Amino acid sequence: MGNDRYDAIVVGAGPAGSAAAMTMAKNNMSVLLIERGEYAGAKNVFGGSVYRQPIEILIPAFWEEAPLERPVVSDELWLMDNDSAVKIGFTGLKFAKPPYNKFTAIRAKFDRWLADKAVKAGTRLITNTLVKDLLYEKTGIFDRKVSGVILESGDRIYSDIVILAEGVSGNLVEKAGLREKITPDDLTLYVKEILELPSGKVEERFNLEKNEGASIGMVGYPSSGAIGKGAIFTNKDSLSIMVGAYLNQIIDKGLNPHLLLKRLKQHPMVKRLIEGAKTVEFQAHTIPKGGYEQIPQLSAPGVMVTGDAAIMISGRRGTDLAMLTGMFAGEIAAQAKAAQDFSGEMLASYDRKVKNSFFMKDIAAGKGAKKYYELHPDADFLLSKAANDAAYDYFTVDLLSFNIKLEKIMGELKNMQPLPKTASDLYHGYLHWGVF
Amino acid sequence: MGNFLKTAENPLDYVEIKTDGTSHISIKEPRLCKEQCENKPCTYYCPTRVFYWDGDTQNIQVIYARCVECGACPYGCPHGNIDWHFPAGGYGVLYRHG
Ligand SMILES: Cc1cc2nc3c(=O)[nH]c(=O)nc-3n(C[C@H](O)[C@H](O)[C@H](O)COP(=O)(O)OP(=O)(O)OC[C@H]3O[C@@H](n4cnc5c(N)ncnc54)[C@H](O)[C@@H]3O)c2cc1C
Ligand code: SF4
Ligand code: SF4
Repeated sequence: MGNDRYDAIVVGAGPAGSAAAMTMAKNNMSVLLIERGEYAGAKNVFGGSVYRQPIEILIPAFWEEAPLERPVVSDELWLMDNDSAVKIGFTGLKFAKPPYNKFTAIRAKFDRWLADKAVKAGTRLITNTLVKDLLYEKTGIFDRKVSGVILESGDRIYSDIVILAEGVSGNLVEKAGLREKITPDDLTLYVKEILELPSGKVEERFNLEKNEGASIGMVGYPSSGAIGKGAIFTNKDSLSIMVGAYLNQIIDKGLNPHLLLKRLKQHPMVKRLIEGAKTVEFQAHTIPKGGYEQIPQLSAPGVMVTGDAAIMISGRRGTDLAMLTGMFAGEIAAQAKAAQDFSGEMLASYDRKVKNSFFMKDIAAGKGAKKYYELHPDADFLLSKAANDAAYDYFTVDLLSFNIKLEKIMGELKNMQPLPKTASDLYHGYLHWGVF
Repeated sequence: MGNFLKTAENPLDYVEIKTDGTSHISIKEPRLCKEQCENKPCTYYCPTRVFYWDGDTQNIQVIYARCVECGACPYGCPHGNIDWHFPAGGYGVLYRHG
């Protein structure tokens, strides 16, 4: 394997791993980045869009060189029923110009580009290689420190620091005893298709100009009674369409994710957007939604945990939080190297940095959502139904006076479920739906 | 819900999976599936239907070559009866448009 000792080894070349590797390489550390896929991004799936402000911290003006699809100017949330949708949205054309707000992207291209940035900064990347376990050295009678990794070939590679960026599976995090076993209510499972559609058609159907993109988040109908979401994102000449829900609810309600997607594609309001588009890829991936309570121990002697492996998810933000936590871990690793101190106390400054971040406050604020939806798994469905029934009444041109009409709508809303429950569903929806 | 193994549209027509001839998925205790697992959720939560109940042998059959490593296994089995590992480096699903 040539050089079998590095300052740092990073497991996984997703956004977290590449950001960590790049940060350390820029600080003149010798870094090995190990990826099990054929290339960085070969195993990775997201919605999705990447957000400008957080990523810019790592790579200023990244949009000038990164493989991005379209800058998003239009966001909609659809509360859907069988043949209707209440739409909430915003279009801001300022977002079509630098410095932009967010961009749709394809992970197979984006992750590859980011890993390449790490390589250009001096990282050594090896692909097609699975890390099986961590290596330890004794530092006292009861104490040990992570000192490298074991590959599936049995090869051992040593380093002062290992950064775990292995994504949602968190196998090594678990093996290292840093996190507890997760359960199906900590995960959402999504399936997605890439549908090829000529760029002119994308623009026509989504009311966009050439260099503009749109995203639509959908609740209610798509997840068929489970708490989940559907979404459509516009790429340059394709659409990403997806649907998913909490894994425990998929199991309890007997749902098959692929059939949910098929059903969403047949919804009359979705069908017209994707008409004639050709499926070019099917994908499936989980998201760690466990939230605040599930966040593992973020560091131990010689090791730090970043990105999805550390459950750094807030609403739809994940890629950016992965990159930020990767960068934080890289910075602390550089400090540790300068001080030649890889102890638990030294690396605990990474935990503090993450815990004081803006996104940790959001993750902590989302705390109640999981419990709420465990108690009220039908909240999104009821809310979407109520909103659509009320909207049908409201927009129907009928023979009632306006006041009588409003009374009727309120009466129907109360009939469906008590108003405080509707307000509470709406509040938790607001917390849970997040940005797209 | 219908069974897509019996419909014309199959998600596996649209995804590349490289297999090396060794299964990375196995059932730990086949009797448990038969005797204690009424709904057999693995047969429907898996997006690409890696698992199916074989009435003849009274066993869950595993077609590992259909797995897209979504991450739902091993958490989806209520009895923790699925032994799931990553496929060997370089094998398994290969996305071009993730
Ligand atoms: C359907 C869906 C929609 C999403 N939408 C959005 C969105 O719109 N915006 C957003 O910001 N985020 C979104 N996310 C979340 C985002 O994708 C993740 O938060 C992000 O990918 C996490 O990055 P990561 O680097 O931590 O992990 P990953 O991207 O999962 O990367 C982990 C890497 O490690 C490798 N690996 C794992 N184990 C090993 C091992 N033992 N040895 C070697 N290599 C290994 C994997 O192959 C992989 O390349 C979405 C996620 C999903 C599933
Ligand atoms: S869910 Fe688990 S126990 Fe049930 S049939 Fe599948 S593998 Fe067996
Ligand atoms: S990991 Fe996902 S795709 Fe693979 S067998 Fe399990 S549910 Fe199916």
